[in-house]
Amino acid sequence: MTTTDIAPDSVAVTSEQNQTFVERLVTNTSNSSIGKSWIFSGCIYFIFSTLLGFLLDIVRFDSDSYLIFSNVDKFFQFWSLYRTSIVLLVVVPMIIGLAMCVVPRQIGANSIIFPRAAAFGFWVWFLGSGITVFGFLADGGFGSPELGSQREAVALTLVGLLLVIAGICMSAICLLTTIISGRCMGMNLRRIPIFSWTMLVSGTLWILTLPVLAANSIIAYVDLRGRSAIYFGSEDVIWDQISWAFTHPQIYVFVLPVIGIVYDIVPVAVKVRQKLYNHDLVLVFSALFGIVGFGAYAQPFFDTPGTPVREEALYVLTAFLAAPLIFLLFGGLFETLRMGSKNVTKHPPAPLVLSLLSLLLLISGAVVGALRAIEPFELVSRSSTTAQMKLTIGAGLVAIVAAMLWWGERIIGKSAKQGFGLITGILITAGALLSGFADSVNGFLGLDDFTTVGFLQEVSAELIVKTLIAFSFIGSLLIFGGAVALILVELARFKNGSLSEVDPWGGHTLEWTDEIVIVESERPLLDEAEKAGT
Amino acid sequence: MLSTGFKLWFGLCVLMVAAAIFAGYTTGGTETGPISLGWKGGVGNHVVYTLLMIGAASMAVIGIVTQAFRDSDLEAASELLGTEEVPEAQSVVGSSWWPVFAALGVSILAVGLIVNSAIFVIGIIIVLVIGFEWTMTNWSEKATADPKLNTELRERLMRPIEIPIIGALGIGVVVLAISRILLSSSVTGAVWVATVVGVIIFGTAFFVSKRPSISRGVIQSILFLGIAGILVAGVISAVVGERDFHHKGPHHADKSHVDEKE
Repeated sequence: MTTTDIAPDSVAVTSEQNQTFVERLVTNTSNSSIGKSWIFSGCIYFIFSTLLGFLLDIVRFDSDSYLIFSNVDKFFQFWSLYRTSIVLLVVVPMIIGLAMCVVPRQIGANSIIFPRAAAFGFWVWFLGSGITVFGFLADGGFGSPELGSQREAVALTLVGLLLVIAGICMSAICLLTTIISGRCMGMNLRRIPIFSWTMLVSGTLWILTLPVLAANSIIAYVDLRGRSAIYFGSEDVIWDQISWAFTHPQIYVFVLPVIGIVYDIVPVAVKVRQKLYNHDLVLVFSALFGIVGFGAYAQPFFDTPGTPVREEALYVLTAFLAAPLIFLLFGGLFETLRMGSKNVTKHPPAPLVLSLLSLLLLISGAVVGALRAIEPFELVSRSSTTAQMKLTIGAGLVAIVAAMLWWGERIIGKSAKQGFGLITGILITAGALLSGFADSVNGFLGLDDFTTVGFLQEVSAELIVKTLIAFSFIGSLLIFGGAVALILVELARFKNGSLSEVDPWGGHTLEWTDEIVIVESERPLLDEAEKAGT
Repeated sequence: MLSTGFKLWFGLCVLMVAAAIFAGYTTGGTETGPISLGWKGGVGNHVVYTLLMIGAASMAVIGIVTQAFRDSDLEAASELLGTEEVPEAQSVVGSSWWPVFAALGVSILAVGLIVNSAIFVIGIIIVLVIGFEWTMTNWSEKATADPKLNTELRERLMRPIEIPIIGALGIGVVVLAISRILLSSSVTGAVWVATVVGVIIFGTAFFVSKRPSISRGVIQSILFLGIAGILVAGVISAVVGERDFHHKGPHHADKSHVDEKE
């Protein structure tokens, strides 16, 4: 055998010093780099989705302006794109991005487990999201070919959705494996920080439920492409088949990490040790909240005649369980806040304020969800569905802003303008509350959710309905403003942000240190500080 | 000693067996059918029972493999490598092209499923090739405890395969694309296209040869733009189609071609 004298460069592992910017961008497998890619892409889709939401609300306010979207079918397509994108292209990716950056540090792992698979997950999601959006723009989406949507473009959207789901699941697997097998010595599951715990619970639930959504898409795809051979009967009602993933109870599964973000920020911000029983209860209640959110069974499309799934005991029970569980979680937080109230200054840190606001939104979403499940109110197919989604997803978005302000110091290494960040979060909160409140009340007034025929005509029927829609419209505008503000805050951080300290907040958990720390409790850095007497 | 991974998979296996038996009894199975895999009686709903049992068997296989290779057991890895320190759960792998290429392959495959079967086949080929390369990279990284030696091992094994195949494929694709461009142009146009492409290639080579200190990024960009341009033009030409050929003579005896466009 002949050998070369000069050791050849590896194809896969090239020397990073010789790489161009583009090479570094597409080949990097460090968890922090992949995480930033997720967050950045999520931010771009955040602007896109909220702009879309704003345009949709213009049409709701003035039904004649549906011509912005050229016809009612296209209006429906973009309406469904808004719901899909705000969840699968904004909230979930940004949470995954945060988790990629924060979780390995929190549990004392040096990196994400399966870093190449994690990079693969991102790129599959990224390309899939592009294909999905292109499918919508090419007059496909989840529209019906019977109503004029392009059959090929609809198929493209479904395939794009499959790739998006595959990317999310792949990343969730990497995160779960890291949490299960990458923990450092002493970091047992009971001691892992709450954000990592909620990622463990929600990641598991994503893996259990998103493949069901993928199966729905495959059935619709088969109907669309192979109708002559096999037909399941869903080609013309694709949205009906997948809408379960964007409403109660499944919607809670996507924002479960909000609880982790809030619980990791508040005790540090108010400078107290959260009580151990409190910590254990949070682990249990957040897991229960996740289980309550398991929604793959709640598919109205597969209702058996006479027994609608939305009237079944389990569906109603989970709607009523979600609210008290969040109240219980808030109760634990309230105790921590009470203990640390003396440490809170006149100007509390922006992440603390935003954490509490996100919890407020989550509670509001759960309450609307519970009201929606009360059968005599007949809210299931009303605009209360939109309200619940906006409030719950709003909670996720505000928590993400809080997390960016909190962990961004560590992820990016530069400080952001906290005041501007606070304004960003407040804009989103105000928008979600205003929009959610208006749509909730409109639900009681009988305003249909889009899927019911005659929506556009009903919109302009009554003055009070129209006034509330105007409020909802203003709410959407505020959320869009929040999205733009978030991008500006992060750009300013990149450009002008001052270098941040390793531990600017006096953190309690491992992500805030570069040193080796012995883990003896759920707050190892606080232990160290107490031992040192500071 | 049983590893944590084995316990997890074995637990799932037991759970699925229990679920299969429960499903069997509640869907009309006989007393002994569900617990004898259908040997002594009916198992109830065949589909559910079979799926759950297949799931259980899969869990068992994964559990056994996990145990056999002592997966994720860092102490075992330390014992195997003969080191005193327990290695890190995940060693840093550096940068890699495989994830982005694999994702690209999967996306091409997915789009090809709708647009064109040839694109679908190209997607499958890309996925298979990248899958093989990725596997070899992973194998080589764990071949010995010396990362440098591992890299060399991979190179020795894969370069003799990679270079000829990538070279042949690259040349083939470019030749195919240029042939499509020439065939879609008129006879005179084809002469001009060939001349212009030749002059551009010659001129670029001359320009690069006169600047030995030119950066790698610039050369990469030039090559990327050139090849991308040829490929895009080739695809467009393929979509437009070949020019019309007129065959002379009563029975197509004369094979000479005349361009109708002229």
